[in-house]
Parts: sequence; structure tokens; C-alpha cells
Amino acid sequence: MIEGRGLTRTFPARGGLLGRDPVRALRGVDFTIPDRGAVSFIGESGCGKTTLGRILCGLEDFDGGELIIDGQPLSRLRPRQRETYFRRIQMIHQDPYSALNPTRTVEGILGAPLALRARQRGENDGWVRRRRAELLELVGLDPGFALSRYPHMLSGGMRQRVVIARALTVDPEVLVADEAVSMIDVSLRLGILRLLRDLRERLGVSVLFITHDVATARYLGPGGELYVIYRGQVVEHGRTDTVIGAPVHPYTQCLLAAIPVLAGIEQPGPQRPVPLGALDERAEPPGCLFEPRCPFAAPGCRSERPVLGQVGETAQEHACLYPERRAVVPVSAG
Amino acid sequence: MARPAPAVTPPASPNANVPAAVRVRDLTVAFATASGERPAVSHVSLDLPPGQITGLLGESGSGKSTLALALLNATPGRVTSGSVEIDGVGDVFALPAAELRRVRGAEIGYVFQASQNSLNPLKPVGKQLLDLGRSHGERDLRGLLRRARGLLEDVGLDSARVLSCYQHELSGGMRQRVGIVFALVLNAHVLILDEPTTALDMLSQASVLQIIRKVHAARRLTTLVISHDVGVIGELADRTAVMYAGRIVEEGPTGALLVGPRHPYTRALLAALPRITGDPELARPLTGRPPDLMSIPAAGCMFRARCPLAMPVCASTEPVTAEPAGAGPVTAEPAGAGPASAGSAATGPGGYRVACHAVPGERP
Amino acid sequence: MAATLPRPRARGRWRILVRTPGRAFGVAIIACFTLMAIAGPYLYPANLPIDPGAIYAPPSLAHPLGTDFEGGDVLALIVTGARYVLLSAVIAAALIVALGTAVGVTAGYYRGSRDTALMRVTDLVLTIPHFPLLIVLATVWDFGSPYAMGLVLGIVGWGAVARAVRSQTLSLRERGFLEAARGLGLPGRHVILRELLPNVAPFVAMSLLLSVTAAIYAETGLFFLGVLPFDVSNWGVMLNTAVWDAGALTSPQALTYLLSPLVCILLLTLGIVLVLGAVDEWFNPRLRET
Repeated sequence: MIEGRGLTRTFPARGGLLGRDPVRALRGVDFTIPDRGAVSFIGESGCGKTTLGRILCGLEDFDGGELIIDGQPLSRLRPRQRETYFRRIQMIHQDPYSALNPTRTVEGILGAPLALRARQRGENDGWVRRRRAELLELVGLDPGFALSRYPHMLSGGMRQRVVIARALTVDPEVLVADEAVSMIDVSLRLGILRLLRDLRERLGVSVLFITHDVATARYLGPGGELYVIYRGQVVEHGRTDTVIGAPVHPYTQCLLAAIPVLAGIEQPGPQRPVPLGALDERAEPPGCLFEPRCPFAAPGCRSERPVLGQVGETAQEHACLYPERRAVVPVSAG
Repeated sequence: MARPAPAVTPPASPNANVPAAVRVRDLTVAFATASGERPAVSHVSLDLPPGQITGLLGESGSGKSTLALALLNATPGRVTSGSVEIDGVGDVFALPAAELRRVRGAEIGYVFQASQNSLNPLKPVGKQLLDLGRSHGERDLRGLLRRARGLLEDVGLDSARVLSCYQHELSGGMRQRVGIVFALVLNAHVLILDEPTTALDMLSQASVLQIIRKVHAARRLTTLVISHDVGVIGELADRTAVMYAGRIVEEGPTGALLVGPRHPYTRALLAALPRITGDPELARPLTGRPPDLMSIPAAGCMFRARCPLAMPVCASTEPVTAEPAGAGPVTAEPAGAGPASAGSAATGPGGYRVACHAVPGERP
Repeated sequence: MAATLPRPRARGRWRILVRTPGRAFGVAIIACFTLMAIAGPYLYPANLPIDPGAIYAPPSLAHPLGTDFEGGDVLALIVTGARYVLLSAVIAAALIVALGTAVGVTAGYYRGSRDTALMRVTDLVLTIPHFPLLIVLATVWDFGSPYAMGLVLGIVGWGAVARAVRSQTLSLRERGFLEAARGLGLPGRHVILRELLPNVAPFVAMSLLLSVTAAIYAETGLFFLGVLPFDVSNWGVMLNTAVWDAGALTSPQALTYLLSPLVCILLLTLGIVLVLGAVDEWFNPRLRET
């Protein structure tokens, strides 16, 4: 189980001729990834969800707060020890092509980490070969077909499966899928999503799914949780179907209202709020961060910054001073 | 939507008020490979009805971008058959080079994907606009900039700021809108958008889609939207054509196509779509591999390897659809039952066509 | 399934070198000169015969390219001189590329203090003007032997390759597969050698070829200027003699003596340049098929 408590990350100002202000990418984010869980982070570009994913994989540092993996707070460990913990969390990148070495075949791509693993466990080459075939079959690829191919000979969906197989070579506990299906053909996305769902069930891995396409977050299997992130802050959190069906925070409502409607199959929701204006990374409003763009902003929103709190008896949390359930998401027609 | 749309700057030239139709007939575009020429687009016929938004739904390897570029006669492949006729312009493949250059921009506007960074990274936007004008022999550059400013405001951008910006200073959504402005600033009345919202997040996508609809209506354009995203097509297009392996496999009014898809590929695609509505457990992934230029079969139906309805005839004969007829009688029926007939029924603006040997609509 | 892709073949690589007529020609030229370099000195006696009666003679059957200032056969001089030129150039190029790649990859991959230190050294090497340095060096050290020449040219010239390889490494570093390799716990040495280097290989190979041409020009230039002693017979010396002693630039007498080494240098450079295109295909699996 992985817990993040108050994670903060500010990217320092870039000085010199092209000076840039510091960017507060994360402002104290709390989250929990349970074992076998499926947690999704949604938000627009630049909201900090990718940074959070990278912090989880150890690719990025955090300035404040704590990351606790299986009860062990990471900031108390030395870098070497931290590495062993981060190895339990593997990233599935957005671009399956650049995530694979174009000069190596699938055999080599999987072979390298497996060889390392074999040395650690005292296994021989035969084990490497068996495990390689096992993993390829687990992700739905035919070893006879895939092993001798270079990445550019595979379709996007297949490449992503190889990436997942490679991540599985180190027996991880968590897979962080950062826009893992955005660059794959629409017809192949479901296959990858189902694979993630099956891996949860068969191997007990948890999935952290970072996406801007909320619909995909519904296909990760049962028990999914959704965190809505705005400018580095969690503004709403709850079970995936609850947040989608009955969102309470205006930002969530705007995100869901923006989902295109499939004419004929779906009808737009009764309300489709739109944020006023574009995201300004530099602005630091004194009150609620979303207030400048919020279509339902009230005077009180400018002075007080809401914190994440509970909605009644449910496990749903939000950070809004004047929350109101609105049905925004498209519904099935007929 | 909550916000009222501001008024749109009307186009300058008088004849731009009459929407133009585009007729693609029997178009084939082939690419040279080590094993001979292979068609990326094969015998495609398509109508873009005047004043309407037509959607072209296709994934990678479907040939949709090749088809789009062919409408400008700008495809890197070789056009081995067919014609593209545009009202007021004629056959794009028969134009002399100078006229073709004029047509690209002044008659047809093309908007590239946001991710392709089609703007010059070394010049500010305003200078590029002037370059565009000069290369089209536009003498009234001030007027051009005025129109550009108007268009930039229409798409919701701060014109003074954007004109002096470099490409990297703009976000993906802003670049996309600038692309739309470039496509329309010379008063084109046919607009082609290639993957207009790929690489944009939900909110940017929603506003870009709204802008496309608005601009299309206000300037009475004939618009072609190409996308792999069914949602984008669903929001924008009046009619939709589905492409697979360089062929059009199904075409009809968008709502009818989405509610009752008839071609096995369209059905499978919609069943495999992650959606915000519906039961996730009911979705069915597609089997097999998507087609690419080298691997498409030489004879028979392109889809048969992945098709649940494949029959022996599918291996030998390629199914064809009826020709779209611009002014023909309106038929609501699919192109014949049983083996598809070539050109048996003309379909007009409300019509529907499918290319499949299996009987559409009668199988569960 | 109808869709199958060709299986990758290992043998096909050699065909890349002769795929186009230009490349085949380039390969032929290089092969020819290499043969000359290897076998040349064995074809002629150690001290080439001179014929005082036929100084600067025009081309004839006995002397296809004419004779030099002491009646020696120009063709013989060309063939025996090839070894020096190629040997020193290859040594220089190998050093340039080995040093430059090692420095560039280490600096780019590890970054931090290692990067800063290595780049300071690189900048130093880059700032020093090569040719004047070589001339100054020649006054204190006779590096006329091909090994010494190769060494000197190599040590002086690796700066640009280091910079370029470093920037390639920096951009590759951010690619998913290198991040993934680190995340999987693969050791740094493995990542550099097996993951990074193959992707930098096309550039390195091209640098190798281009460094050969640059080295040839550098050393020919040095000998042409008369900066180094004449106790070695090579093409640069021939040029020097032809221009300064025989007045070849003003009189037609020693034309073949002047042109022969010049043409050989140009041909060799041409051969290398023609083969450059093959390098990318060789290393890039994507370009290899179809």
C-alpha cells in the first residue's frame, strides 16, 4: 500500500534572460493506493498529475510531505535504499515507441532486466527464457511472433504490451500508467485497459492511472477511486462511479461536461458548465484556486481557500465552499 | 453552453457566402515501397455536402491523412486514379501549379494537428501571416492583418499578444486555434481539419470544438473533420464516413451511423470504445492487428481477418459501396442486400452506404 | 492472419553498402586505397629507383604518371605513400571518436559535477586552434611517423565530437526507454553500453568517417607547408615539392606530379563521403527493412 501525505513540489524559477517564476506543481496532496487498487488521477494539462506519477516512480523529487510505501516513510531512507522501494513501482509511459529501445528486439528488451533478476535470484538462462515467454503470454502477445521483432514492427497496442511486460519483469506492486492509452488507436485501447484490470486480479498489482480522458478510468475493474486534481491540489475524491455520476466540485463538473457526446447514443447532461477563461499558472488567488474560472463563484470564494473535506456520510471528499451536486456527464439516450 | 458566443467576423469576398461542395471520385493514392506500389487510399468516393461538416473516422493506417492531403493535391504519394472536384475550382489534379498554389489557402484551408507544430518556430505568428499573404500575392497586407485579428478574436485569443508570439509560447489549444486562423485568413470556403483535438486535454478540446462549429456556421464553410476520436466526430459531424485500410467502409448521417452501425468494423469499433456511459463490462476489444501499408491483402475484403462475419466470398472479392451522387434521389436503404452491388443505388445527402458482403442489419 | 511482417535478417546488413551505385563506387574507392596502403610498400623496393635522365618527364608507358624532381616514378610514390596517409588518418579518427564518445556519453548521462568537469576540459580542447598548435608542436617534436601523427591529431581534435555526443545523450536520456532502464534497476554501465550507445552509434560512425577525411587534410596540409621534415615520402610532401620546387603552379612541367596526390586525396575523400549514407541505414533497424 502506498500513501502520499501532503506531497509538495515546486519547480524552481529559471533565472537568466528568460526568467520564469517558480511553478507550484503540487500543493500538499494526500492520496492512498490500496493493494490491488485502481486509482485514477484526472485533470487538465499542467495540473500536476504527471508530476505526482513521476514522484511515485522516483523519477522526480518532492520538496515537502511524505511518501510512505508499505509503512516505510521514504524521506527517512538513504538514496540507495530508496531505490529498492521505487523498484516496486514501475511506470508505463505515454509513448510506447519512445519507451522501447529502437535498436533492440523484444527479446533483448525483456532479456536485460530478466538477466539482472536471474542473477539476483541465482537462476539460470533457462529461467530467463521461460519467464520471458510467460510474461509475453501474460500480456497477450505470442512469444513466437514478438520476440524477434523490433519495436517499429509492432503496432502501438503491442508495443504498450511489451512495455507492460518489461515493467512486470521486476515483479512490481504498482504500475503507474501515465496517459498509457492516449497514443494508441482507439480500437486497441480497451485491450490495454482490460489487461491492466486482469493484472490487478491475477498478480495483485495496483494501478495508478493518470489520464485526461475520464472515460478510460471506468475500465480498470471494480473498486476504482478517482482523484480530481487542479493546480496541484486535490479538489475532489471518491469512488469512480460516484464522482462521475454525482460530482460536487465545480471543476470536476466542468471536466465532465467537456466530454464529447456521441450523437444518437448519448445525450448531453442537463448542465454543462464551462470554466471562464484559461488556466493561468502564475496567478495565486488568495482564496480558492479555481475561483477566477469558476462559473459558480460566490464572493466568499475569494477570501477563503477551501480544504479537502468530507461530503456527508459518504467517502467522497471535495474542496469547495459551496458544493452542489450537478448532473453533467452525458447519459445514454433512449 | 453557459457563455454566449460573440459575433463572428464575416468573410470579406462576396462569393464566399455560397457554400461549395467537394466531390471525390474513385481516388487512389499509392506509395512506392520496396515491393512495388501499395495503395494507401483505394478507389475512394466521397461527397462533402456544401455547408455541412463531414467527419472522416479512421485510425492509424486507415489512409485518412493521405486522403485529406489529396484534396489539396499535396500528398507525397502518387495519385493513380480519380478526381477531386471542388465547386468553383474544378478538378484539383488538373490545375496548373500556380493556380494550385492559389487554391491552397484561398479556396481550401488545411489545419494540421496541434502536435505537429506546423508553425515556424523561428518567426512570430504575425510575420508568418504576412508571409502567407505575400506568397499568395495578397497586396492588401493591412487588410489581411485586420482579418487575422478579427479571426483571432473569434477563436477567443488575444490578437495583439498572439501576433507577436512565437510558436513555443503558445499552449497546444492556442496553437490549434492559430492553425484555424491561418487556414481561414485567405477566405477559404472549404476547411479541412486533421485531428484537431488530439494532444489536447478535455477542456481545450471542448473549446476548440465549439470554435470549429461556430466558425463553420458563421462563414458557411464546407468542413471535413478527420479524427480517430468518435467523440469528436459525434460532436461535430453531420455525416460521417468510416475508413479502414484505405477504403470507405460505411458512410451516413452521424446519428444513424452511431446508433445503428452496419459494417462489422464500425460495430466492433463502437463496441470497443471506452465511454463515459454504458456498462464497462459490455465492451468488447477488437481482435487482430490494425492494417498497415505493407500488410493489407492484395484481394478480397481488408477486414476479413478480424471480422466475425467473414464468408468465403470475402477472401476473393472486395466489397464496394454505391457511388455517392451529389444531386441524386435520396435513399434511406443501404446499398442492396446480399452481395453488395456496385453503383446499383444512388445515395443522396440523407443516404447511407456500406461496403460489406454480409447482409447488413440482418445479422445479430 | 493476413498481416505478417518480414522477419529481420542479419545477412542483409552488408547489402546496405552496395545498395546504390554511388555507395558501391565509394566502397570500391576505399577498398582500392586500402589495398594500396596494405600492399603498396611490398610492391616496390625500399628505395625507389631514380632516373636522373628523366626528371619531370611527361606520362609514358614506363612512368604512367610521369616522374618527380629526381626522376622517380610518380605512380610508385603514390602507391607507397598511401600507407602513411591512411594509417595516420585511421589512428587519428579512432582516437577522436573514442575519446569524444567516452567523454560525451559520460558527461551527458551522469551530469552533475562529472559533466561540468569534462565539459571544461572539452572547451579547452575546442578553444585551442588546431593548426597553429600543430605547427608549434612540430618545432619541438617530429611527429612524422604515422603513429605519432595519428596520436597528435587525435588528441587535438576530439572536442567537437564530445560536445555533439553529449547533446545527443542528453536528449536520449529523457526518452522513455532510458528512464525505464534506470527504473528497472539496470546498472549504469549496462545502460550506457547496451541501451545508449547503439542509439548514438550512427552519429559516432559518421564522425569516424568524417574524421578520417579531416585528418587526411590536416596532415597533408602540414607536409605541404613544409612544417615537418621530409624524411617520409607521402602525398603531402609530393605536393610541397611540386609547388615550391618545381613551380608546378606556374609551369606545366610537373603537372602530373602535382595532380596525382591531389586527385588521390580528393578521390579518397569522395569515397568516404559516398559511403556516409550507408551508415544511418546500417545502425537504424527501421531504415533497414523494405
